[in-house]
Amino acid sequence: MSVSNLLENWAEFRHTHPVDDVPHDPYKWAMSIDLDACTGCNACSVACYAENNLPVVGKEKFLHGQSMHWMRIERYWDEDGRDFPDQGAQFLPMMCQQCEAAPCETVCPVGATNHTPDGLNSQIYNRCVGSRYCSANCPFKVRYFNWYDYPTTDNVWPAEMSQQLNPDVTVRGKGVMEKCTFCVQRLTSAKNTAKNEGRIVHDGEVQTACQQACPPGAISFGNLVDADSKVFKQWKAQHVEIAEFEQAKDRGEQDNKLRGYRILEELRSYPSVMYLERVRETAV
Amino acid sequence: MKDINEDIAWAKINTDVLKSLENPRKLYWVILAVAIAMIAVAVGCETYQYQMGMGVANMNNPHVWGLYIATFIFWIGMSHSGTLLSAILHLMHADWRKPIYRFAEAMTTFSLMTAGLFVMVHLGRLWQFYYSLPYPNERGLWPNFQSPLLWDAMAIFTYLSSSILFLYVGMIPDLAICRDNIHSGWRKKLYTALSLGWEGTDRQWRNFRVTYLTIACFLIPLAVSVHSIVASDFAMSQQPGWHVTSFPPYFVAGALYSGCAAIITLFIILRYVFRFEEYMTLSILKKTVRLTFAISMVWTYLNAVEFASVWYSHDVASKAVLIQKATGTYAPFWWMMIFCGSVVPLILAFKRFQTNIPVLLAVSLLLNLGMWLERWMIVAPTYSHGYYPWTWDHDQWPSFVQWGIVFGSFGWFTLLFMLFCKIFPSVSMYEVKEMVYHRTLAKKNLGSAKGAH
Amino acid sequence: MSQRHMLALFNNFEEAEAVVRELRGASIKGFNADSDMVVKSPIEHPEVEEFLGEKPVYVQWFTLGGALMGGLLGFFLISGAQANFFAQVKGGKPIVPFPPNFVLTYEMFILGGVFVSILGFLICAGLPAKRSPLYSAKVSEDQISILVKSDDSAAGELKAIFTKHQAVEIQEEAGK
Repeated sequence: MSVSNLLENWAEFRHTHPVDDVPHDPYKWAMSIDLDACTGCNACSVACYAENNLPVVGKEKFLHGQSMHWMRIERYWDEDGRDFPDQGAQFLPMMCQQCEAAPCETVCPVGATNHTPDGLNSQIYNRCVGSRYCSANCPFKVRYFNWYDYPTTDNVWPAEMSQQLNPDVTVRGKGVMEKCTFCVQRLTSAKNTAKNEGRIVHDGEVQTACQQACPPGAISFGNLVDADSKVFKQWKAQHVEIAEFEQAKDRGEQDNKLRGYRILEELRSYPSVMYLERVRETAV
Repeated sequence: MKDINEDIAWAKINTDVLKSLENPRKLYWVILAVAIAMIAVAVGCETYQYQMGMGVANMNNPHVWGLYIATFIFWIGMSHSGTLLSAILHLMHADWRKPIYRFAEAMTTFSLMTAGLFVMVHLGRLWQFYYSLPYPNERGLWPNFQSPLLWDAMAIFTYLSSSILFLYVGMIPDLAICRDNIHSGWRKKLYTALSLGWEGTDRQWRNFRVTYLTIACFLIPLAVSVHSIVASDFAMSQQPGWHVTSFPPYFVAGALYSGCAAIITLFIILRYVFRFEEYMTLSILKKTVRLTFAISMVWTYLNAVEFASVWYSHDVASKAVLIQKATGTYAPFWWMMIFCGSVVPLILAFKRFQTNIPVLLAVSLLLNLGMWLERWMIVAPTYSHGYYPWTWDHDQWPSFVQWGIVFGSFGWFTLLFMLFCKIFPSVSMYEVKEMVYHRTLAKKNLGSAKGAH
Repeated sequence: MSQRHMLALFNNFEEAEAVVRELRGASIKGFNADSDMVVKSPIEHPEVEEFLGEKPVYVQWFTLGGALMGGLLGFFLISGAQANFFAQVKGGKPIVPFPPNFVLTYEMFILGGVFVSILGFLICAGLPAKRSPLYSAKVSEDQISILVKSDDSAAGELKAIFTKHQAVEIQEEAGK
């Protein structure tokens, strides 16, 4: 039974991912974010709140650091002594990086977070017991814990707002961890449509909420396996390889004209989000 | 100074220890009442937290672990000295452990039970706790065996059940003594059932000796593995300040350290409360104190190694965490940990303080304060200065809920421990007799050797 | 022939030792020193084993078996569960990863060893046991006792030996 299962499929059980594993097929969802285009307007964050039924926790809990923004805009300033530090401001949209080898997955005691066949880092709310080890081990700190029972908290979704909740997304109760899903509800429905028509999802057929809302179009999203997709082309142009932990840019190839990088790559979590370095000098 | 007076009649040992089951000093009841009041605080806090959600503990999103995990490590650590005294010193034939190992072993058991509670208190969905246990179910769902938390669960289960068995097996001959001397009430029934019909026959003793030795041999690597696994919760993660190779031995040393300090505290309390002056002698206390001093220096060394290896490495993030510990928000606590853990024990090096009970009581409490701070200083600062700049300076101060539960856990431990000491003999009678017997033999041999001259 | 149990209590360990040596040396009809004699003592005397003669202890075999069983069970249970559990990748690690499984196998090894040792102890020491025919609470205090079972005819001879070595008290009971 289980011993024979072990013996028969031994080789399959001993692969490390993504280094010596077969690439995802037919889907590997990935993103690229052009920081040169990002204006820090927070539209992506708002769209995410609307799409994914994120609780709006209010000022007091926000100040306690208990906010639930799956997509957050981080602001950094240069400390080079310039007269107007705001001019050196940089914005970084940050959400779950959907790592190929996610540090959060190994440490979950109940296996509530896993790597899916289409290359996402899934979170199973029903299974989560709330040990919060995943968040502790996430290098990007993009996991958000339900500190209170938000659906029953008064001011999270005021009366008229409850009609606005997205019926395709569950509302999470207290004590579970949640995070960006790359709008998995949209992906699933697009995949189902495509499957019914006997094809794979075309590029542009499915968008994430943040991508849809981004005014300058800084966010591209798509299937990294599909050679026609914009994301594939961007990654290729920047020589960013998913299963590498050091890219051409880090090695200083192409006369330093490359802009693509992934955050904290040296930790070998192989994130699925590529950022394009900013080239213009000031924020505005 | 003698570890024990070899003139004590064996019958007197029985009566003295059995007396501890009946009439302790008044202080005993005071301690018990205080302990129950402390538990009430914790139960109140936990109920509130259970109803409202973990948010009332005032943790926040990057800073998801707080005092619960720190105190969990503290209690696990506390459990290690029981094994040190009962198993390691048993293998080394150190006779002086005999009057004090029973309560140390009980301390192991009860501090593990307290630590286990913290895992549950920490969970966001306590009512789904059983998801983390490997039980067969029709969905074919299993916990994630890769998670160090699951190793923890397994290690603690093994350690707790083995400790209980070890404590129990070692107590069987004493339970038989209780059975033979107490003739009425529920106690009679309890001791009769638990002593399993022990009569001290040669067959029983023969198997007893081998079994006791075998379990002692298992318990030593087990104790080391348990705290190494707790260290793995941190060392196996990627976070700067946690991902440290030397963590497992460092944790084990810290565990023995805080455990020994706790043994000194409890030694002093039990000695007074149950009038054990003749068995828990100052000479034994002195040996325990010296042992504690040695371990404190090992801990200090491992601490220094950790800092030095971070300081001389090229790991920028870990170094930043170290600097943050020494100069950031947590600096007062961090320096206090160094003071309590490395400077205060220097007092123990002076002979005149090694048997000074008031000083030792104060010092042992300070040492444990230091060790508790150590655990907090392992858990918390990494969150306020991890890899990712966005998380920097997210300081988080635990709310009264966290403090209340931590506070109450001491009451819970005290209650269990004090009840144990009242129901079961907390000094091993048969082993004290053995100790007396060995000393008498030694004296006789010495005498006859002198006579031959 | 009817049987008789006799329990002799001694204050002194040396006396008891002398009695045992004498009983083992003597050939008394209806009494076999190897099977009919039990020494009860308040503390563990390693010397008892010497003068009682070689009596094997089997607990360690239970330990060995239990530890190996625990370890094997641990490894295969865990690996089997991992392989059956949807075989989902976590953190890019192999589905059946060795380091964690070894940690857990080690714990199960110890768990099995300890549990089965205790079981072995209970079996080998014959616990839980009914009270033997004669018992004195003095044994759990400070006296060492020798319990013998013999034919009626040998009782007198045994009693003489006990008295010779200053037995504090001799209890007798007719056996079945």
